[in-house]
Amino acid sequence: MSNGEFSIPLIHNSISIMTPFLLAAIGGLMTELGGMLNIALEGLILIGAFFSVIFAAATGSLFLGILLGILMTIFISWIFGAITLYLKANVFITGLATNLLAGGLTAVLSFHLFGTKGVLMFNDLPSLPSLNVPALHGIPVLGDILFGHNILVYMSWLIVVVAWIVIYRTPFGFRLRGTGSNPNAMSALGLKPQNYQMIGILISGFTCGLAGAVLTLNLGAYVPNISSGRGWIALVVIYLGGKTPFGILGAAFVFGLAESLSNYAQGFMDIPADFILAFPYIITVAAMVIMSVIQTRRED
Amino acid sequence: MKVNRSDWFVTASALLITLGAAFAVMLVMIFIMSETPGETIYYFFAGPLTNKYYLGNMFNSAIPLILTGLGIAFAFRSSMFNLGGEGQVYAGGLAATAVALPLPAAGAFFGITISLLAAVVTGAVIAGLSGFFKMKWRTDELISSFLISNALIYIVDNFITGPLDDPENNLLVTSKIAEQYWFKKIFLPSNLDISIFFIAIIAVLAFYYLFKTHQGYEMRMCGLNPEFARYGGINVGKYMILPMLWSGAFHGLAGAVAVFGTSHACYKGFSGGMGWNGIAVALIARNNPIAVIPAALFFAYLEAGAKSAMINADVTIEIASIVQSVVFFLITAQAIYNFVKFRRKAV
Repeated sequence: MSNGEFSIPLIHNSISIMTPFLLAAIGGLMTELGGMLNIALEGLILIGAFFSVIFAAATGSLFLGILLGILMTIFISWIFGAITLYLKANVFITGLATNLLAGGLTAVLSFHLFGTKGVLMFNDLPSLPSLNVPALHGIPVLGDILFGHNILVYMSWLIVVVAWIVIYRTPFGFRLRGTGSNPNAMSALGLKPQNYQMIGILISGFTCGLAGAVLTLNLGAYVPNISSGRGWIALVVIYLGGKTPFGILGAAFVFGLAESLSNYAQGFMDIPADFILAFPYIITVAAMVIMSVIQTRRED
Repeated sequence: MKVNRSDWFVTASALLITLGAAFAVMLVMIFIMSETPGETIYYFFAGPLTNKYYLGNMFNSAIPLILTGLGIAFAFRSSMFNLGGEGQVYAGGLAATAVALPLPAAGAFFGITISLLAAVVTGAVIAGLSGFFKMKWRTDELISSFLISNALIYIVDNFITGPLDDPENNLLVTSKIAEQYWFKKIFLPSNLDISIFFIAIIAVLAFYYLFKTHQGYEMRMCGLNPEFARYGGINVGKYMILPMLWSGAFHGLAGAVAVFGTSHACYKGFSGGMGWNGIAVALIARNNPIAVIPAALFFAYLEAGAKSAMINADVTIEIASIVQSVVFFLITAQAIYNFVKFRRKAV
């Protein structure tokens, strides 16, 4: 096998794998900039994954499935935000509550609606349309890497660009960052920091809903706990990306590549499946610690 | 620590509001989901109390929750977040089993002691690692403890289904530990075992340590106000590691106790939920080691009720997770406390 034949599908694959990380991390960035570590990402992805696929199956339309799935995720993120901000609860504990609610609600509804808490298969669901531009496909290497993904992948790139514009080029972005760095100054200006944080949380609901939709609609099925730690890894992606949208894009790609490599490694070597499952967490911790070592060195 | 009477009243009322809301949500869920809501509600509330077996098992499942609740309370008191409880319990149970399995001939006291010690050390090292990273490089312990724990869960899975798997059993389980190590049952036919008395003593000792010793005082001071603690000459870095070590030790012990008292072997996923529930227990107990005991019993009741409703009626056990999430959502809500306080002043 020549080098190119191996690395092109690998990178192509990494790009699909990174999409949910990227989306969740961009949403998490919005709450992070508002001064809140959002550990609810994990649960929100699960909510998005479950509701988008069951709504898509119920309506027979992918578009409606994604739309309703996202709305449901935004609703749950609103509950999370309202209790945290207006009832003044601890954001970590309400974040855990959201994750717990997501696990419980999806299992209870799955059992109530489908009579099983296991895998839900939706065979007659149309698959996500992918973007193919035959003219551009001819470009060597890049054409093969950049095209042929499903449309949600391209949407996630668009969201990165929009996030950059919103954060750095709009009054909302300035105020959101102001909320994170100095909420008292915001209050002094007569602005309510909570409102900006709330919008940040709702945006994270939107992106996590989409991240969940990517997972289940790609598969045409719902697997219990399909988010499997992606929300947590996304939190680390935010840090590694230096809390900027394009940095996050790069960091998410590194994670996609690592996961895609470990999938390949599983094919070649006799590594127990459990270790492959543990691998993303191990590299995430390692990356996180290395990052904090570098940061402490720089500050000292 | 002196507690103002009216403060106590506010805390208790706010807790009642939170738990009331949780049960209200549960009732609504049951009315939506169940074909026979009356029956389901009966089994949920009365089921755990109807016979000796259910009642004893409910108390038995509170045992590890008291330990994980204590572990979380120690961390919270020092303003440290240990979200790795799940993995620490699981790894603790495995470590104790792995030590006990090759030792069938040893005396019960010796065998149990070193197995429990292995669990305690395992848990402490895992959680302590996150504390160490935090002290040394300011790595967020909340995220690192969770990620380390999740990686460990898969690795423990691998040991249970691989090297330590019982070849004579098709289930995903290790071989059983020697019978002389099993904790004595005290409430047959249920699984309740003698360790509940020891665990209650541990909770009292934990209270004493936290509130009556110098080290406990310094630890709490670092939790209340680290800047002030540093100014007062307290080694703040030490109190990033120490509470995590304690927290992990309690979690590891919880896993060992669950194995030696109840299952006598490590099943795949045997400790699922013990870590998360420990957080809820500590929050309900407001991080008071003595109050952890009733809080753990409350959670054990909730789980037992859900289990009973699942077996005897037509709802699934995850309904308990939804009720738990309501508790998590509201338990720290400052607005509820303020509401009660304000109402009281107005009267």
